[in-house]
Amino acid sequence: MTWKAKLGSQIPAELGKEIDVYETQMELRKLGKLDEKLFAETRLRRGAYGQRYDNAQRFDGFQTQHLKYPTNLTKGPDTAWDAPGMQRIKIPFGGVSPEQLEALADIAEEYADNILHITTRQDFQLHFVHIEDTPDIMRRLAAVGITTREACGNSVRNVTACPIAGVCRTEAFDVTPYAKALAYFLLGHPDTQDFGRKFKIAFSGCECEACGLVYMHDMGALAQVREGRRGFKLFVGGGLGAVPYQAKVFADFVPVEELFPVAQAMARVFARLGEKQNRARARIKFLIDKLGVPEFQRLVAEERKILPADSRWTSYLPEAAVFQEIPAKPGRQLTGQQPADFAAWLETNRYRQRQAGYAAVTIACPIGDITATQARQLADLARKFCGGNVRTTVEQNLVFRWVSEADLPELYRGLQAIGLHEYGAGTILDITACPGTDTCKLGIASSRGLARELRTRLASKFFALDAAVKGLRIKISGCFNSCGQHHLADIGFYGNSRTISNRKVPHFQVLLGGRWRNNAGSYGLAIGSVPAKNVPVVVERITERYVRDRQGNETFQDFIARIGKAESRRLIEDLMNVPTYEQDPTFYSDWGDPRVFSMGDIGMGECAGEVVSALQFELAAAERLNFEAQLAHEAGDFAKADELAYGSMLQAARGLVHEQWLDVPTAPATVVTEFKTRFAALFQPALATYLLRRYENAAATPTRETAHRLIEEAQLFIEGAYTCSDKLRQQKAATLKK
Amino acid sequence: MEPYKFGVQFRISNSTAQTLQDFIPVFHGWIQRQALAGHLLVDVHDYSHVPHGPGILLVAHEANLNIGEAERSLVYVRKQPATLAETLQVAHAVTKLLTDEHGVNFAANRFEVFINDRLLAPNTAAGAAHWQPMIAQATAGQVVQKPNDSRERLTFVVTRQP
Repeated sequence: MTWKAKLGSQIPAELGKEIDVYETQMELRKLGKLDEKLFAETRLRRGAYGQRYDNAQRFDGFQTQHLKYPTNLTKGPDTAWDAPGMQRIKIPFGGVSPEQLEALADIAEEYADNILHITTRQDFQLHFVHIEDTPDIMRRLAAVGITTREACGNSVRNVTACPIAGVCRTEAFDVTPYAKALAYFLLGHPDTQDFGRKFKIAFSGCECEACGLVYMHDMGALAQVREGRRGFKLFVGGGLGAVPYQAKVFADFVPVEELFPVAQAMARVFARLGEKQNRARARIKFLIDKLGVPEFQRLVAEERKILPADSRWTSYLPEAAVFQEIPAKPGRQLTGQQPADFAAWLETNRYRQRQAGYAAVTIACPIGDITATQARQLADLARKFCGGNVRTTVEQNLVFRWVSEADLPELYRGLQAIGLHEYGAGTILDITACPGTDTCKLGIASSRGLARELRTRLASKFFALDAAVKGLRIKISGCFNSCGQHHLADIGFYGNSRTISNRKVPHFQVLLGGRWRNNAGSYGLAIGSVPAKNVPVVVERITERYVRDRQGNETFQDFIARIGKAESRRLIEDLMNVPTYEQDPTFYSDWGDPRVFSMGDIGMGECAGEVVSALQFELAAAERLNFEAQLAHEAGDFAKADELAYGSMLQAARGLVHEQWLDVPTAPATVVTEFKTRFAALFQPALATYLLRRYENAAATPTRETAHRLIEEAQLFIEGAYTCSDKLRQQKAATLKK
Repeated sequence: MEPYKFGVQFRISNSTAQTLQDFIPVFHGWIQRQALAGHLLVDVHDYSHVPHGPGILLVAHEANLNIGEAERSLVYVRKQPATLAETLQVAHAVTKLLTDEHGVNFAANRFEVFINDRLLAPNTAAGAAHWQPMIAQATAGQVVQKPNDSRERLTFVVTRQP
């Protein structure tokens, strides 16, 4: 029995087929028939990501060990096949059902380390996963309506949205159905397959709150209502990373009917003009910076005009307009006796919905982690108290929406029983941290180790803290790439390293004054780098100074702006000093890691994905089809072998045509005609005839011999397509040079 | 018995370790000397911040091993299939290392065995009936099914005479 057989029809046919294809690609890679770079991008686009030490090297504190895995296979450049990896699981708009939580729990237990990790983009991540387990993980997720497709790689990543959309007191309207529909419209869309880098989209319901953080996204959609019509203020070109950019206004108002075609047109412009070689400048923010917003607007408008109409642009709108979640119970006011410690939790973890008698409850998940058992019990609580309406948040928590206020004490007791009743959601205790050196190949310092330490220290004195300090946010990244969103925090940190007397010392750069509210309204500025072990004192000092010197209700951002950068730096200057190793060796290890600190474990990141063009994918798909033809031939199914081999030639030909005509249909007649018209001069004539002959004269009853010959011819045709693709690339490069 | 993804859980009866984090340097030390025969020890992970969580995790290619907060216990769970006898042998080797080197003692007469594979071992009456005799034979103990949530893994409690 296999999961594929057991789940059968529970897996939507299209998803099932995609996973089968992925599994075949794994087999091809194992046989050495699929290039490792191409396979790397293939698995990234399925969310199967690399993890620290997957180059089979690890510094153990004394020396770098070579980890001797059972095979020498690779799953990407310098990436051991057997090395544990990470599986990212896309959760569009953060919406997760109890059934999905249960499936995620089983998967975390059986294939990972028993932990579900919530990311800063509302995804789930599993760590220490073996690549061979990923197809079954995907099948079990697909059976509950989750896809991992395009969770990583150069694709449209998870579409995020405000976790209280629909219940928020200040939103224009509920962005949930729009975020969801756009996520699925762009998923696997041909126009999103040829990016040089990832593309992130977020939705917000209102301008003043943090919501979806539209200012830090490649494309941000902010809900607006004009003259009774729904639409979005669209932002483009935002992003954090090493060089943070604030998004710029693309359009003040795009009616909902135009949202999808505009996004599609943007994707086409990004695919066509975005940087493909220099990965560090391949995000759309650099393209927009280069072109300027007016030129980008012009290009998008031009592209929009020539887009073939698509019914999906508007078919979801009637449903979206009336979208509503169903609560478990009627909303009633909170009354009666309350459990001990309930008040503190209520103050920080409860949000009063605009719908009377209901609350949205934030379940604080420490550094985004919950166990499999907790996930199952949360599923039970969600069914009982909130009608299964659960969202993940970019602050690595979960939100139960539509909880009747009267049920809050019972829900609290339920959470208490599973250890998830921690107060302090959205406060200084609720620290966000990326995986950092725990699992990320790019991590420099231990963001999670630091987060743990700060949480422990702050929790012990939380009730004694000034209210203004309680409300501050701390966010930590393990390196400058900003996955912990440190730019948006009141107090942010990112990991770096300094060398002191030939020894490496883990450090964190301190950033002050980022604005979480107003959709990531402004970014914090760096004031200096301190050794990791001094960071807790930095937090103490800055917050004490804020409490002591703030004027009236001055916000932290205003306070930092008033005292200035020089004074802020003076505050921590003495903490930048590092004692010698002999004076205090603890400075030379990171938080939670007793090994002598080293930079030797940093690998090549896979965040950027591999640069693999859409055509390369098409040709790889053609090869896969021809491989399947061989299997069918081996099984004695010659008709199927013939059909698959023919299909593989059509796939390769269509890939070439697609380079010049984005909307090329799949009909064989069109593909063959266009192929002949466009590539007569470039394609080796003898090889081209294999396709043309099969198109014109299909064997009435394919035999072992005819099918075998066609398979051979198809392979040659695909080789011809590769050669042709090289010529196309050279032509493009020559044109660009001119 | 055929190789499967078995897991074994031993309760810690007493330990000189004050906190879960005391086990972090212990596991790093094991990686330095690749202390566990037949295992490629890869990494240590700190989950001490997760209530009822896996605590401190030692990741190997063949298995995961963790000392968790819930009832302070050691869990050894196979990722690459092995027979139950092999699984128990390694788990015992781990307990011995922890006892000899770090003064951690385990309740020897009672432990849990689970199968980390819901496809092969569903947590149902039929699943239990199928697996119980095999586990009794391999452990030479008294085996009863643990009455847990049916969504959890099929788990047996094994008791043996001292």
